[in-house]
Amino acid sequence: MKKLIIKSIIYTVLILFTLEGLTRIFYLAKDTPTRFLDEYKVEKWQPNQNGFSVTGNRRQNFSEYHINASGYNSYREFTPTKDKVEIALVGDSFIEGFHQNYYNSIGKKIEKSLPKIEVYEYGYAGYDFADQLHLIHSYSNQFDAIDHVILGIKFSNDLTRDEYKVVKGRLALESPTNKTLKKSKLLVYCKNIGILDPPQELLYTIKSFLKSNSKKAVVDSLSALKRKEGKEKKYLENFEHLIAKYGFDKNRFTLLLDSRITPPVFISYLRKNKISFIDFASSFSSSNHPKTLIYDRHWNNHGREIIAQLIIDYLKSIGISQINN
Amino acid sequence: MLFNSLSFFIFLPLVFILYWLVFSKKNQLQNFFVLIASYVFYGLWDWRFLFLILASTIVDFFVGQFIHASDSTTKRKTWLWISVLFNIGLLGYFKYYNFFISSWVDFMYLFGYDPKSTWTLQIILPVGISFYTFQTMSYSLDIYYKRLTPTKDFISFATFVSFFPQLVAGPIERASNLLSQITSKRVFKYTQCTEGLKLILWGLFKKVVIADSIAPIVDDIFLNYNDYSASTLILGVSLFSFQVYGDFSGYSDIAIGTAKLFGIELMSNFKFPTFSRNVAEYWQRWHISLSTWFRHYVYIPLGGSRVSKLTSVRNIVIIFLISGFWHGANWTFIAWGAFHAILYIPVFLMGRNRIYMNTVVAQNRWYPNLTEIAQILLTFSLVTFSRIFFRSPSITDAFGFIKQIYTHFSYESYHHPMGYRMIDYFVLLGLFILYEYRIRRDERSPFKFKSKAVRFAMYVIIVFGMLLFYDDQIDRSFIYFQF
Repeated sequence: MKKLIIKSIIYTVLILFTLEGLTRIFYLAKDTPTRFLDEYKVEKWQPNQNGFSVTGNRRQNFSEYHINASGYNSYREFTPTKDKVEIALVGDSFIEGFHQNYYNSIGKKIEKSLPKIEVYEYGYAGYDFADQLHLIHSYSNQFDAIDHVILGIKFSNDLTRDEYKVVKGRLALESPTNKTLKKSKLLVYCKNIGILDPPQELLYTIKSFLKSNSKKAVVDSLSALKRKEGKEKKYLENFEHLIAKYGFDKNRFTLLLDSRITPPVFISYLRKNKISFIDFASSFSSSNHPKTLIYDRHWNNHGREIIAQLIIDYLKSIGISQINN
Repeated sequence: MLFNSLSFFIFLPLVFILYWLVFSKKNQLQNFFVLIASYVFYGLWDWRFLFLILASTIVDFFVGQFIHASDSTTKRKTWLWISVLFNIGLLGYFKYYNFFISSWVDFMYLFGYDPKSTWTLQIILPVGISFYTFQTMSYSLDIYYKRLTPTKDFISFATFVSFFPQLVAGPIERASNLLSQITSKRVFKYTQCTEGLKLILWGLFKKVVIADSIAPIVDDIFLNYNDYSASTLILGVSLFSFQVYGDFSGYSDIAIGTAKLFGIELMSNFKFPTFSRNVAEYWQRWHISLSTWFRHYVYIPLGGSRVSKLTSVRNIVIIFLISGFWHGANWTFIAWGAFHAILYIPVFLMGRNRIYMNTVVAQNRWYPNLTEIAQILLTFSLVTFSRIFFRSPSITDAFGFIKQIYTHFSYESYHHPMGYRMIDYFVLLGLFILYEYRIRRDERSPFKFKSKAVRFAMYVIIVFGMLLFYDDQIDRSFIYFQF
């Protein structure tokens, strides 16, 4: 018995080490750049980092990223001036685009169509509307020089706060323990493909079982509807509060949203208050090809093409593309 | 609890350690512990159906005693019928009730009657019912045929019925093999345990990498067969052949390996059926425990092949129809069984049904000759064709599938429904077939290499394969659980 246990442990350790090596050789796991909080308390990536982002098993999606001097994933540096025409795309991981080669991003696609325009992509995974407006507000000297700003917004996720506060949970990912764990590419790969989900779920179940005995309240459809309306109201108030606090230039700022998942009340509000927005719902619905990646809900190349084209059309429609062209 | 779930990977080491370190002093104590563990294993799926296992256990335990104690043949027969009727009754109610009712309604409808089918019930099929009822019945039958003396130890008998490694999907054991091991003292053997662990690893590979990874392709092709041409449909049913083999033989390997950890040797259930040279050999290599069961308890009592050719043919037809029906309450399985009978009868009449009994392909050679390759391809094609019935949800769909093959007889490239590269699966299956061919002489030793380094490399490749093909979006339950 002793021999069996000892040998099993030795074999397990040796196999794990070999698998770690194989994971590295075949580059199955993603690199994770380091994040930090700058002097304005804006969370971003440490400047000048390079690496590869991998999703799915067997490297279903493999792309390179490059963090520029401003701390965002882009092939170009952000140097806005009054002389050039610049567009800023501000948003979360969809704009950040780790799932695409940095030289084939939405911004790059726009620039290919409109060569005299420079597109700055201020994307960062997890940025909500508070993060976005706080960034614009903190770097107002830069953003004032930018001709037009497009902000990606998902109503159900991005309006849960009415003011900006540092998200400690995200920064905790930079804790020494997490950093050490991330050094194991095997662990990162296993997490990425979902092998670690069952043990995590088990731990969560045990935790919640030990924590409370309270049963989940059964919500009837009427209460659910009321709750939904309450949430929508709250999110709308948050939106109003945020634009009041950090400023929102209706002439230069445009939202990018999907009306299929945005409540009509918010769309009406935007229309009523003359806040312009680009809606990609119909373009996505009318395309028969997949718009997202396998194993990942982010836009694939086709999805990004659609978004880029919509932005190009929009810029043309408001005359931005004519400037200096 | 599934063999490929996290709960099993917590459950197994825990039970293993307690079994050998805490309960090993007394055999009865060990058996009692295994019994409790088995009930926990089953009860975690649905504890209510534990009562069915218990009922089947109690009935056959006492029936066995009564048959043994009775001198008169009539009494012995009566007790045997009680066991058979009880177990078949359980199966009939839980597995076949709705099928009989709806078939009756369909039959009446043919004659112009419309007896609204209000008698069908919402019945959940208890997992493993087809397996454990056959196992308990074999006990009573063996006592009836005086091949076995009944045990007086109820705990041991209950452990025999519910032994968790083979409770839900076999191998269907006979008491002469399993019960005798349960009633004897087990001794911890290092070699047996390592053999068990290797089988578990190989079984997991077959399940996770082979069966589960191709399941979405098979599901997609069978669901949308009307949209595809012949090449895709042939691909779908061929892949299903590998899926069902990987799934069920993988399960059996894990079961046999797990039993080995507890000092128990279960019978082999699969012996590389892919390399069968005719359909008779295929049935000597596929789901062996079920074929053996039918041979012992149905075919031989009916006269087997010692009667006239015509009666033997009748017996073969009966066996295959029952075997098909055993798999599920659907006409598709009966059609599948009938098709196999049609394939088997010519082999039987030509006297070629036993010629490959004790040999494997390329017995003393590295490579098979051209005749063997042709035989293997033909057998594989025929068996694969039969799987159209096995996999289709209805007879109409099965014939629709076949019709689509010949009405749309063309080639088209197929794209994975989830967007994965198809080439990965072709390479994987190619390597799998080659490896299975390499180990074809011994189904119990998947890693039989003299060099430790090669063996270690194989372990790494197997685990790495699982990491590469693991998909958390796939339903990981076993196909044979539905039977």
